[in-house]
Amino acid sequence: MSDPVLLTLEGVRRVHGSGAREVVALDGVDLTVRLGELVAVMGPSGSGKSTLLNVAGGLDTPTSGTVTIAGDVLSEMDAKGRAALRRKRIGYVFQDFNLIPALTAAENVSLPRELDGVPARRARTEAKAALAEVGLEKQARRFPDELSGGQQQRVAIARALVGPRRLVLADEPTGALDSVTGEAVMRVLRARVDAGAAGLLVTHEPRFAAWADRTVFLRDGTVVDSTGTDEPEALLADSSTGT
Amino acid sequence: MSVKHGLLALLAEEPMGVYRLRKEFEARTGGSWPVNIGQVYSTMQRLERDGLVAKASQQDEDVELYEPTESGRAEAAAWWRTPVARGEVGRDELVIKLALAVSAVGVDVRDIVQAQRSETMRAMRDFTRLKSQVPAPGEPISSPELAWSLVLDHHTFTAEAEVRWLDHIEASVARAVLTQSRTETTDRDEAEVPR
Ligand SMILES: Nc1ncnc2c1ncn2[C@@H]1O[C@H](COP(=O)(O)OP(=O)(O)O)[C@@H](O)[C@H]1O
Ligand SMILES: [Mg+2]
Repeated sequence: MSDPVLLTLEGVRRVHGSGAREVVALDGVDLTVRLGELVAVMGPSGSGKSTLLNVAGGLDTPTSGTVTIAGDVLSEMDAKGRAALRRKRIGYVFQDFNLIPALTAAENVSLPRELDGVPARRARTEAKAALAEVGLEKQARRFPDELSGGQQQRVAIARALVGPRRLVLADEPTGALDSVTGEAVMRVLRARVDAGAAGLLVTHEPRFAAWADRTVFLRDGTVVDSTGTDEPEALLADSSTGT
Repeated sequence: MSVKHGLLALLAEEPMGVYRLRKEFEARTGGSWPVNIGQVYSTMQRLERDGLVAKASQQDEDVELYEPTESGRAEAAAWWRTPVARGEVGRDELVIKLALAVSAVGVDVRDIVQAQRSETMRAMRDFTRLKSQVPAPGEPISSPELAWSLVLDHHTFTAEAEVRWLDHIEASVARAVLTQSRTETTDRDEAEVPR
């Protein structure tokens, strides 16, 4: 319970458009994700899941409210600082893997580190370690089109958590995978989070959301419910202080 | 369990006699749950004995009307609030509950759907935790482990089907353009009335 908080959203509101065309995509969302925690986000289409993920990762700016990543308040930073923070702290995993076809698995993973100014040798060492963590050390020199969908997604997870990156934001990472491969990817994501990361996972598949510690349900931009492992403890704490 | 609470929830909307109760119950569960009049009658007697219903203060001239007591109302409210536990036999209770909720007064189907979805997700997380302890697909696995893993998959897929059904209910209710919100039944439709 006392693990460090990697991501905090406080009273986050995001309004798209204005006037009659105004769409409130997020309306007062509070959310905390700690190290070692994987949180799933579910909700009907249009409920604000992608907006939540984009705002959490600094790809989109809230209309009001604050987003804090590893202690840094995004709204207090300039665009350059935010971009650097994103590169250094946050990894993204998308449905369609998003690997660069002309680069090997290892190069895909080391690229963000090199962009961050890490010497090539060290970046490669980090990439190798990250690939080993997802069970792909033997595939390091393969190109994306030489890998299966599940393997490509594991490369994306390795890239998301390479070097000092500890926060992975995943939007439907199993969306393009069959159910056994999807499970394999969820196991890897779960293991990486357990080994020392935090994850926010958007999925519409309950079977995969079940790998998370908690599920946050969105409806029309607000959190309607949140269930998870820390709930019973909270209840116990309440009842013990109440008596 | 479910019939008792379903009847109690209906009475919380307005006092009714046994015949009308039976009609309401059957109509509002889509006719999927037939109950005979004796069952409704004995359920009322038990509810009355347990202090959950009483003879209504406003009586109809031909029929005996029942209404929930204060604790009966609390019991009905608690029933709406509490998700049906997964381990419970007779998941039909969930079907009855959601069917009734669609037309129940003062009950938001979406809240019931959400409470149930959370409960089912909780169960799925338990299955998944057990699943994470058996080798991953493609890793060496013993046949008892594989069998256990497939049993867990069964539980997971069944629970997932339920979550999808709940999603479907929520979407259907949100989109529905309801014509007639309630069934039109009265106790006077019935000729024979026990007194
Ligand atoms: N760039 C945008 N401009 C206008 N409206 C948007 C934009 N992005 C999202 N929305 C609207 O915000 C709401 C939430 O969208 P989104 O976060 O994509 O939901 P989800 O991922 O749950 O389907 C929807 O009503 C959507 O139409
Ligand atoms: Mg989306």
